[in-house]
Amino acid sequence: MTPILETPFLETPILQITGLAKQFSLHEQNETVPSCSEVALTAFPGQLTALTGPTGAGKSSVLKCIYRTYLPSAGRMDFHKANGTVVDLARISEQDMLQLRRTELGFVTQFLHCIPRRPAEEVVAEPLILRGLTLSEAVEQARDLLTRLNVPERLWRLPPATFSGGEKQRVNLARGLIAQPRLLLLDEPTASLDKTTTARVIELIRAFKQAGVAMVAIFHDPELVAALADVEYRLAPPQSLPQPTPALETASS
Amino acid sequence: MKPILEVQGLTRIHGTECPSCLDMTGPEHNTNVCPACGSIVAAANVSFSLQPGEILGIMGESGSGKSTVVKTLYFDQAPTRGKACFRDDTRTHDLFELNSAEQRWLRNHRFGMVYQNPNLGLNFSISAGGNIAERLLMNDLNHYGDIRRRASELLTRTDVMVGRMDESPRQFSGGMQQRVQIAKALATRPPLLFLDEVTTGLDLSVQARILDLILEIQHELDTAMIVVTHDLGVIRLLASRTLVMKHGRVIESGLTDQILEDPQHAYTQQLVASTL
Repeated sequence: MTPILETPFLETPILQITGLAKQFSLHEQNETVPSCSEVALTAFPGQLTALTGPTGAGKSSVLKCIYRTYLPSAGRMDFHKANGTVVDLARISEQDMLQLRRTELGFVTQFLHCIPRRPAEEVVAEPLILRGLTLSEAVEQARDLLTRLNVPERLWRLPPATFSGGEKQRVNLARGLIAQPRLLLLDEPTASLDKTTTARVIELIRAFKQAGVAMVAIFHDPELVAALADVEYRLAPPQSLPQPTPALETASS
Repeated sequence: MKPILEVQGLTRIHGTECPSCLDMTGPEHNTNVCPACGSIVAAANVSFSLQPGEILGIMGESGSGKSTVVKTLYFDQAPTRGKACFRDDTRTHDLFELNSAEQRWLRNHRFGMVYQNPNLGLNFSISAGGNIAERLLMNDLNHYGDIRRRASELLTRTDVMVGRMDESPRQFSGGMQQRVQIAKALATRPPLLFLDEVTTGLDLSVQARILDLILEIQHELDTAMIVVTHDLGVIRLLASRTLVMKHGRVIESGLTDQILEDPQHAYTQQLVASTL
């Protein structure tokens, strides 16, 4: 076999976004609210791509569009899957998106949304169970990660509903990190954490980069951006759309 | 992976259908009663697919046609038109083309149903255990000891006190009746389960335990489910994808988190806004 030149992995992006826009059409108010527009970004394996910009610039919307929690209004989001194929996240089927969420795409949202009444360690273990691990294997890994994130052992068996903001955030992080997705979306992962825990999160994020995980993250703290980001994209608030046309106004009245 | 169930153009009209029925009803006309002939369009052109082990939510207010969909699929009602294919290991069953014996076989062996009203799902003139035994007998389990053992296993699994298995479910609380229904539905380990407003009308704490049970079952047995409810909380907790129905039509469908956070249709926006 002729040896082929190895392409440095940095040159193959995992995600390429072009012309992404999101606006909300609120029927009751007969209004269109722009959230982000003309977003273009490229993310590479092993790199952290930071989204920065003022509140209202649509940073969270970009992450939610990638994850399909929001339906993008325009644009392409080419995702390079592990098997080498490229899919447009804006257009793949719901089933394909669910499959990607189980295997390659992770999201640590600002707030923990989880099944109530379930112990923290099982909340964290869930993504692994969905991938087919047994409960005990998954919980073992969950405990390991909770330890690394400084969550006291006495909390592991309790449902996170009563936890403090910082504790919930750590459970949330652990749940997002446990399955080691190929692309991880992080929405202010350290917002409510103390210095010690933030330092641990930074350590973990660095380890993830080493392992080749691509991350697109929102941070408010410029120090964190400086410490972790390989690329920074600064979003500007979208231009406000023209006022509703007279025709629309007539239609509603 | 191939879908376990594919539904196309499912339509159910009560009354003498006229050519205007579909054109003059639906969300844009704000009615499901045909102004021309008075027929009721309970469901029109409902299409969706379901993957093995997936939970699909159907959400809507009463009269939206959500129960009609599962009732036709469970053969409680015949559709006016439409096609539904159920895929079972290697065979595909064209549900509305089957004869009644074949339909009964699928109902008893491969499907499970839990109704909002336990009266519909349970026979109150026999014991809780008897209700389950009935379904086991239809599945060729004939030995008395085996039946009793399996029935008590199922009741234990659904947290019904085995000591009460010889009582009529009439004497049970609403939550317990739902548990017996679930145990009965699960008796044959069906790959497809229909849940029609199973927690409606129960105390919140009882609701929560039933929902937990449903999720546990889905994890353990990888059962595909269609969950019909008007409760956004139930949808959020259980379903990975959701259809929203109004006046017999599917007005919107999508991933559940998208439906709840970025609803597209005016009605869904209203629905989501009114729960917060």
